[in-house]
Amino acid sequence: MGILMILFTFLGGLTLSAQSAVNGTFGRKAGTIETTLLTFLTGTMFLAIIILFFGHGNLLAIVEVPKWQLSAVFLGVLFLLFIIAAVPKIGVIATNITVIIGQLVIGILIDNFGWFNSLVIPLDMKRGFALLFMIIALYFIYKGNTRASEEISA
Amino acid sequence: MRYISYILALLAGAALSFEGAIYGELGKTIGKLETSFYNFFIGSIILGLLWLFFGKGKFSYIVEAPKWTLLGGVLGVVYLTSIVISVPFVGVGITMVAVIIGQLVMSIVIEHYGWLGSKKSRVNKEKIFAVISMIIALILVY
Repeated sequence: MGILMILFTFLGGLTLSAQSAVNGTFGRKAGTIETTLLTFLTGTMFLAIIILFFGHGNLLAIVEVPKWQLSAVFLGVLFLLFIIAAVPKIGVIATNITVIIGQLVIGILIDNFGWFNSLVIPLDMKRGFALLFMIIALYFIYKGNTRASEEISA
Repeated sequence: MRYISYILALLAGAALSFEGAIYGELGKTIGKLETSFYNFFIGSIILGLLWLFFGKGKFSYIVEAPKWTLLGGVLGVVYLTSIVISVPFVGVGITMVAVIIGQLVMSIVIEHYGWLGSKKSRVNKEKIFAVISMIIALILVY
């Protein structure tokens, strides 16, 4: 079961990359805001159907939760806008690696300080090295991309 | 100009982490799928407004675009749902590692072959090193 789940999640990761490529392609013709709007609209439609059949939470409780929990939607919007803007300029790999680095760095900070009621996991040596490797990765992807585009123009 | 795109992508990742932490709390009250629905629904409204006032592109391109380029929203939902299903079984750590490695591998393949309309860009040493460094970093984090 565990292995199957891991494989399944791996496939989830594949779809995220596919999404950035597909959206990048659509965005080149239709524009960044337009592409993000389309993604949100179709996502809403699919989720509406999924929730009808599989939702067992309580959507109406939304009026009772603290308002700061609702503010994350602005972040969700920024996330997609930024990705759709970046892919056509720097490509799928560089965008994805850079996004993941931003995600992990902030994730490590949130864990360290226990923001938003999260579990506190201090920034230790291991995570310090992890940050180092991320910087190395960022350097390589920048280099690799510059070289690849030089080869194309040459 | 190129580095601005890198900064945007970094900020996107940062937004994703904040979003994840905040939505984790919201999900406890209203449910995970409901949280995603909230995100997409209200996000559509925000973007509708942004588009009305600042949209410079061509939304009507929807009708002439190849149908597969309209699938971005569905793919996002598949991704989200796979995480929601997987976390209770294998935990957040393994889920994130699996998702991210999937994402990295797929990025390389897509870009190398120029699939899904992306600009074709050969895999080179540096890109492989970048992915390996990311995998090491991931293992160290979780």
